[in-house]
Amino acid sequence: MTMADGILVRQLHAWFGQVHVLHGIDLAIAPLAVTAIIGPSGCGKSTFIRCLNRMHEVVPGGRASGQVLLNGEDLYDPTVDPVQIRRGIGMVFQKPNPFPTMSVFENVAAGLRLGGVRNRGILQGTVEQALRQAALWDEVKDQLGKSGASLSGGQQQRLCIARALAVRPGVLLMDEPCSALDPISTLAMEELIFQLKDRYTIVIVTHNMQQAARVSDFTAFFYMGALIEIDETRKIFTSPGNKQTEDYVTGRFG
Amino acid sequence: MERHFEKELEDLKQRLVDMGALVDHQLEDACESLFSAKSDLARTVIERDGEVDTMDSAIDKQCQRILALAQPVAVDLRLLMAALQINTQLERIGDIAVNIAERTDALSDFTTFLRSLPLQEMMQIARIMVHDSLESFMTGRSSLAERVISSDDVVDNLGRDTFETIVRAMRNDNTLLEPGAHVLMLIHHVERMADHATNVAEGVIFLVEAKLVKHTSNATDRDNQRRGD
Repeated sequence: MTMADGILVRQLHAWFGQVHVLHGIDLAIAPLAVTAIIGPSGCGKSTFIRCLNRMHEVVPGGRASGQVLLNGEDLYDPTVDPVQIRRGIGMVFQKPNPFPTMSVFENVAAGLRLGGVRNRGILQGTVEQALRQAALWDEVKDQLGKSGASLSGGQQQRLCIARALAVRPGVLLMDEPCSALDPISTLAMEELIFQLKDRYTIVIVTHNMQQAARVSDFTAFFYMGALIEIDETRKIFTSPGNKQTEDYVTGRFG
Repeated sequence: MERHFEKELEDLKQRLVDMGALVDHQLEDACESLFSAKSDLARTVIERDGEVDTMDSAIDKQCQRILALAQPVAVDLRLLMAALQINTQLERIGDIAVNIAERTDALSDFTTFLRSLPLQEMMQIARIMVHDSLESFMTGRSSLAERVISSDDVVDNLGRDTFETIVRAMRNDNTLLEPGAHVLMLIHHVERMADHATNVAEGVIFLVEAKLVKHTSNATDRDNQRRGD
């Protein structure tokens, strides 16, 4: 996997039990750019992002069909190991979820250790690099042995990003990463996302349309399990091509 | 459910329409005072300009408030941007009405001469441009805005005709030197009036079609820009 992987989604369907929640999504996600997924609650945006690293099928009753091509490889090919997929595509969730019993250092090193890395020097170097990329190093470098749960909410979320980056993914998925953060931590997170897109393909689900406008290069609008429109963010927020998109971004429905 | 925000936008549009109506009225009175030597009417136009300025400030403040508090996007953002632009243009057209009214006394003995010039037709067309640009804003008819833009060349041509006529008259009769100089200034005022109406029309096209058509010198350029060339 290279760092410049874009994602090509073809005819992606998803279900929760009998409920059909994604209705054949066709979408290209640009490499080394931020793509925001917006839409009202229940439109399928979180399900969509979870299909990109095969996490949707972990939920009881969750299943998906179609193709998600990363670097030409179909993540839904029966021969592909979903655990390997999840290791290569980092994910950050709504609520910061550091491993509570682990130190800051061990939180970031966890993925590497699972991958069999034992060399102390490599671990230290990679942890420092991941924390620097997550804009957290300067704040925690003197307290790497402290519990990850003792950090502030914004720091915990950046710790989770560092944990995701440590295994060197090509893609970073973020599901409402700022919704539990205060405005200052949110600004720090948005600045971080802006910097990370030089190295990673980022997909972010957000309810906050101003945030989508501020951080993303492309915006996709989902409604009732369908992709209504995807375009450059500046176009979506100045002159969207679709009336439903315009009604949603201007707050006239949803 | 109609939201408070939508009412605010409707209120903004209505204020612009009211401002347009006032400016149109100012132009009508300014032209009548000039061609009919009505000194009192000219003074009324000059005094009433304060109302135009007050409305200009109120609309600016309303736009500023909406931008700061509601962070509009898409068609709402375009409305705000167009409203700011149109408001500025209307305020300047109001100033031109004053400029015209201010020449009434100096030209009061020359109304017959004034009526003989292409200036009168030039003024009529420029006023129609102002009126139609406002009509296109109210109705969202970009085709009418297009027509306003294409009329600008007609006004410019009539300005050149007036210029040539007045220079000839000044050469032949030096009692016309002073009124002639005023007419030369009037040509400039009316050309500017047509330019401002064109700018309003361009603002309407931006609002309706999300296309920037300003700074395009002719219709072909504008067509290309609209196609995204």
